[in-house]
Amino acid sequence: MIVLDLISPVLEFIAPMVPGEIFPYFFTMEMFQRALVAAIMVTMVAGVLGSFLLIRNLALIGDGLAHVSFGGVAVGVVLGASSPLWYALVFSVISAIIIHEMQTRELLTGDASIAIFLTGMLALGLVVLRVFGGGITSDIEGYLFGSLLLIDERSLDLIATISILSLISLMTLYSGLLSTTIDPLAARVQGLPVRAIGLVFSILTAAVVVSMVQVIGALLVTALLVTPAATGQLVGRSFRSCLIWTQVFGLSAVFLGLYFSAEYDSGSGAMIALVAASIFAIVAVFKTIVIGLINPKDNF
Amino acid sequence: MVVLNMQPLADGQVMKPTPILDIKGLTVSRSGKVVLSKVDLAISKGEFIGLVGPNGSGKSTLLLAILGVLKAQQGTIDIYGHKPMSRNILGKIGWVSQAAAVMPKNVRITVRELVRLGTLNSRNMFLRRRSIHREKVERAMKMVGLEEVAEHDIGRLSGGQRQRAVIGRALASESEFILLDEPLVGIDRESRNSLLKLLDKLCHEENKTILMVSHDLAAIRQTAHRMIYLEESIRFDGPTEDFPDLTSLAGLRGIEPVHGHEHEHKTPVSVVIQTGGEDQTKKEEE
Repeated sequence: MIVLDLISPVLEFIAPMVPGEIFPYFFTMEMFQRALVAAIMVTMVAGVLGSFLLIRNLALIGDGLAHVSFGGVAVGVVLGASSPLWYALVFSVISAIIIHEMQTRELLTGDASIAIFLTGMLALGLVVLRVFGGGITSDIEGYLFGSLLLIDERSLDLIATISILSLISLMTLYSGLLSTTIDPLAARVQGLPVRAIGLVFSILTAAVVVSMVQVIGALLVTALLVTPAATGQLVGRSFRSCLIWTQVFGLSAVFLGLYFSAEYDSGSGAMIALVAASIFAIVAVFKTIVIGLINPKDNF
Repeated sequence: MVVLNMQPLADGQVMKPTPILDIKGLTVSRSGKVVLSKVDLAISKGEFIGLVGPNGSGKSTLLLAILGVLKAQQGTIDIYGHKPMSRNILGKIGWVSQAAAVMPKNVRITVRELVRLGTLNSRNMFLRRRSIHREKVERAMKMVGLEEVAEHDIGRLSGGQRQRAVIGRALASESEFILLDEPLVGIDRESRNSLLKLLDKLCHEENKTILMVSHDLAAIRQTAHRMIYLEESIRFDGPTEDFPDLTSLAGLRGIEPVHGHEHEHKTPVSVVIQTGGEDQTKKEEE
């Protein structure tokens, strides 16, 4: 809650300038503030993580681990856990490590290991809920589609801790991650611990995905993880500028998504995902037109 | 076998320098198949060596064994007096991969960002002070002639420039012994020539030792001091000018003449060894 205590006065200061009838509550009421802070934090860390996922050709691992974490949540709910996200974290981290090892040892190529875990753990969650729980209840739906306004203090603490630690780790590993992604053999020759870096990255991905589940929903995690990063790549010229553009597009999607969802009473997770995809489409079309005007004979 | 890099002494004696790479009786298997068998090789500082051979002859396997990525079934490899991948030699060896094959297409990265990655090692990868490395990066970019496109996205560069950037990354680590795997693939003739000039300059002016794998015999002949023909074991090792012509090369590979020797006068000046283990011939553009 330290984060909220620090940011709350800033949000209240901005509140009078915020448009809309309901959206300003995100800057004044604690419940809404928690939602806004959680959304901003996961978006920022997801943008950095997503930029690396994209260039490592792992765009869909977020989706896979989100499904795995849903399986974890289901087991947690059935066991009566007060915070099922911890179960999701354990399930997701273990799966990420196994997926990484399977890909490194070339037991399965491409996305096959992700697909197996995605469906296997989702199925486990559904079976467990059906047999031992009451099926898919509104609580469970919150994890599937996001329940931003139901984030309590404990959840915010977990989200804040994961986001801050992950962001620090990613920035510390920045050069190592870039190097091992672009040319793993050259990185190894330079003495970089390529395998350990890959493993830490997998664990970070799992943790960040779990922190995103309540904010945007297990089914929509990829929207914040990959879409802003992919939009950033359309505009940026260097990896660093792509990272900055990713933050611009990610945070724009969150603010606009929350605004529209508040004003038109739609699900926040779905609206954020929709805005993120729309921004991508607009930037892609705009870029195509601009390139076409500048150099009409260029082959795309 | 010919010993190169002999240093004449004052009294007229000749001293053989200690090799920086010394391979003895190296045998390497991959997936149960022997790819390299009893390879002996010594390389001295400042040499420019072209490693040639058909596909599947073990060229890349030899490089990977020198780097320490592949383990030897038999024999020893000493680089600067240490085993491959030893902590003591980190930074001394530079690896230049085939840019066309390795560089991911979906990454936006500038030449400067890529070259800067060359300054990374296990000690400085977490906490980096850029000012220390800036000079190395600038020098590496200057050496490969890419200062003017330093802020350009690698994906927008030509094949030759991209390969230069990858060489720049290896140079930024201030490596002394540079291994290149097929750096000329996917590069037009003009870029190829300037790339070969760059490698020649690195060898003569910067005193780098270069071991380059290529199937482009013409290019290797043009630049290397010494050539090695590898096909499971070393079939030829000597000065470039002594490298055998096509017919002798076929003999080295155990290929008998099919039509006798009536077409021998048509043997082209240069050859390209490639595709499926078969030799193809190509006239050199003079």
